[in-house]
Amino acid sequence: MKADVVIIGSGISGLTAAALLAKHGKEVVLVEKNRNPGGSIRQFTRKNHAFDIGFHYTGCLGEGEILNLLWQHCGVLDKVNIIPASQGGYDHFEDPATGKVIRGYFSYEHLEEELIANFPHEKNGIKTYLKTIRTNCQDVPFYKTDLPLLPFLRGYKDQVNSLSSFLDKTIEDRLLRSVLEAPGFLYGVPTRKASVEVHSLVAHGYYSGAYKVAGGGQSVVNSFVDAIRATGTSLSVNAEVTSIQVKNGAVTGVTLYSGEEITCSQIIYTGHPGQSLALLPPSVFRPAYKSRVRNLQNSLSMFAVFAESEKFVDCTTGALNYYIFPKTGEILPPQSMLAPNQRIMLMTSGAPASSKELHGHGNDVTLLSTGYWKDVEPFLKNDSPRRSPEYTAWKADITDKMVTKAEERWGAISGTLTPLATATPLTFRDKLSAPSGCTYGAMHCLGQYTPDVRTRLSGFYLSGQSTLMTGVVGASVAGLVSAGEILGLEDLWRSIRL
Amino acid sequence: MTDKEVFQKIVDVLAEEFELNKEEITLEASLYEKLGLDSLDAVDMVIVLERTFNLKLANEEDIRSIWTIGDLVNFIVKKKAELTVE
Repeated sequence: MKADVVIIGSGISGLTAAALLAKHGKEVVLVEKNRNPGGSIRQFTRKNHAFDIGFHYTGCLGEGEILNLLWQHCGVLDKVNIIPASQGGYDHFEDPATGKVIRGYFSYEHLEEELIANFPHEKNGIKTYLKTIRTNCQDVPFYKTDLPLLPFLRGYKDQVNSLSSFLDKTIEDRLLRSVLEAPGFLYGVPTRKASVEVHSLVAHGYYSGAYKVAGGGQSVVNSFVDAIRATGTSLSVNAEVTSIQVKNGAVTGVTLYSGEEITCSQIIYTGHPGQSLALLPPSVFRPAYKSRVRNLQNSLSMFAVFAESEKFVDCTTGALNYYIFPKTGEILPPQSMLAPNQRIMLMTSGAPASSKELHGHGNDVTLLSTGYWKDVEPFLKNDSPRRSPEYTAWKADITDKMVTKAEERWGAISGTLTPLATATPLTFRDKLSAPSGCTYGAMHCLGQYTPDVRTRLSGFYLSGQSTLMTGVVGASVAGLVSAGEILGLEDLWRSIRL
Repeated sequence: MTDKEVFQKIVDVLAEEFELNKEEITLEASLYEKLGLDSLDAVDMVIVLERTFNLKLANEEDIRSIWTIGDLVNFIVKKKAELTVE
């Protein structure tokens, strides 16, 4: 087989890059080692419930916004039904210590009003915080789409402002601080390691609007797959790349587990950068780069309980997600001795069905809590695809505790919950090929430089959450940039904005 | 640390981490033209130097002003001195 570009991994980065490259005339082969395409944004089913692994809601889907532009250019936008959170949509943040509830509106104006009404003595701090978030996104082309890409992407960026120090100076109230730190859950970085700059990039999207997609992430995956196949691009599943061939300092092709070889002159690798090294001859990168990529610190993992709810969880009334903070301590500590049900936990409803109304697909919810690699370390001794009975019992206990807590707090909304599946950091590691079960790739945090899309190996590009930014938006943008490095960044950017 | 010690350490670490010939790493050698490093190596270089000299080099202007190994030695010596004063 022969292609211009082989893309390894069919998550939203790979799908986006494939659609863009194919649209601009490249012959693309997209290879996925799993049985189903979609990576973290696909769904899985249990008892007629389709559960989203990673795509619960996103920003940047409003008209003229980056994801909207990209999906339009890729021929996907008119195939999916985007459902904006209702006017007055918010995340429900609950403080178990006081019982107080704060609404995290998906709107700067509403959010500011709500925060000042609840914390009047912190008015100046609230204004400073929100202004800082906005200002930090002013020069970011993915938010200000009339800006060119290159000045933002090239060169060395310093990232030295600590979110913790900034909040120490700006905010006093513990609950208010937790509400402002909460977007950290959406990029998986403990607050003490977070930078104001990265926090701004994520929080700005979220304070500017939230969107669900009818049919969840799976409908995005399906629409991309249809769009890609319509261009003649081949998508191979169960196709694991076992090695990448290099000749005279440039890539020449890949070999699959089946022994099949695909000749190509360009490769986009969308997995965790640390794992790409094993596919390449050891001499292609220098020790400095290899040790940097191999030693990347990864984002937090999660515990996820996928459950059938007795009641239909309705999102039309305003709350998109229900969060509860831990009783004491930070909401996103670097490590946690608390049980997962005692950490920050959230309940989110299933994907809306394909209609204009923002309502659940049926009666299902997902409970999420932060996960740490340390949580599963006791079970690594006999680490094999077949889990030990101790692990299974431990997982059942966590499931039970998370369900009990959710029923206690939100039973009036959800009714009783019947868990149908649970994911731990081990599950995320194995199902998403994510080292230490990280749900947001390598951490975009203080003191860590995540790798560039370009590498020193000619024709070899990285993509995915570990490169530029996290989440659906971050990974899509990484897909855009990796395709742009091949097609010409500014030309591609211009054609997307037309 | 003396200039000489800093220079020697830079020679050792660049040879090791960037697979360069020690003989080519002279004070006059340009990082980009002579030694063939480019913007893609800049971040790796910062990380290696931060680790080697136990420094924080988080200022884009500073990094951009470095062209030769000699510039780099002066820069590190200056940074080290600033740290001692503080």
